Amino acid sequence: MRDWGALVEQRLAGLVLEPEERAEVIAEVSAHLEDICEEMLRQGMTEEEAVRRALSQAGDWKDLQRKILAAKRREQPMKKRVWQLWIPGFLTLILSTFFLMTLQQYGLQPRIVRSGSNTVLLYLPWLLSLPLFGALGAYVSSRAGGSRGIVILASAFPALALTGAFLFMSPFGLTIQLIMGRPVDFSRVATVLLKDGISWILVPGAALLAGGLLAHLLLSTRSSSRDTAIN
Amino acid sequence: MIGPGIKRGTAELAVLSVLEDGPLHGYEMARSIERQTQGSLRFTLASLYPLLYRLEKRGWVRGAWETSRTGRRRRCYRLTSEGKKRLSPIRKEWAELFRALKRLTKVSHA
Repeated sequence: MRDWGALVEQRLAGLVLEPEERAEVIAEVSAHLEDICEEMLRQGMTEEEAVRRALSQAGDWKDLQRKILAAKRREQPMKKRVWQLWIPGFLTLILSTFFLMTLQQYGLQPRIVRSGSNTVLLYLPWLLSLPLFGALGAYVSSRAGGSRGIVILASAFPALALTGAFLFMSPFGLTIQLIMGRPVDFSRVATVLLKDGISWILVPGAALLAGGLLAHLLLSTRSSSRDTAIN
Repeated sequence: MIGPGIKRGTAELAVLSVLEDGPLHGYEMARSIERQTQGSLRFTLASLYPLLYRLEKRGWVRGAWETSRTGRRRRCYRLTSEGKKRLSPIRKEWAELFRALKRLTKVSHA
């Protein structure tokens, strides 16, 4: 006898609900698939074909999982956002920052791209690690049922947080300088912002996104291939 | 006035209507709708269960585990009094849509 509960549990592994509620959903979906399978067997199908057909009824399991989560958590949109965006986003930010600090602690020097007034500093080993952190953020968000957009946002979260900090700090700093009566060279400020934007936002953001997109692609492929697999 | 959620309303109306005849579990519900609409309306797992959970949250249906004569446990859904109350305006809305489409069709063929 086929263990429908185990089949469904494996496919709805990312169903983040209270244990009792999750068990109920898995039992209910399993019972539904069992009924479909029995109906197919009564029609004269082989067991293998019946199981395949029953499992295909679910369509995209990831989509089913997301819809169930959305329906169950409708009253708690903030909680859903915390698990799908904020936790994976801050995890990516904290880990990538900690890794950069560790590299600096061990004396890592930034790689200087172009010299003179257009110097751009790039921490290459750190940049190379960012796709991994982006992929981690995407994985955690995806496990919590995050949609494609949320998963990508979570993976690129450190770059977005830095953008926010830049946008907030730059006008704030300029205002302070103007209030204090110091001369402000706006063209120099613009150059610094551009260089820092490339070093700390654009290039790291692209690296994080590359990892996040790759992880999302792999998770989607694995999920869709598992949909039709028979265990 | 026809509401914006008319498309999603199709599924809601189907489920609420079929539950009006008595409690059913998910599979029976999907089969019953398919049979009664001669296959025009088919529910997949992804369309049925999220909808049932939403309706349950709204208090329009209530699910409870029951054991059948064969000893199998199935979660059966019943229409609540709130659900019965809601069914009537949804039906009116749909009747209005059908009337509007009928009028439109006549105009198109004129």
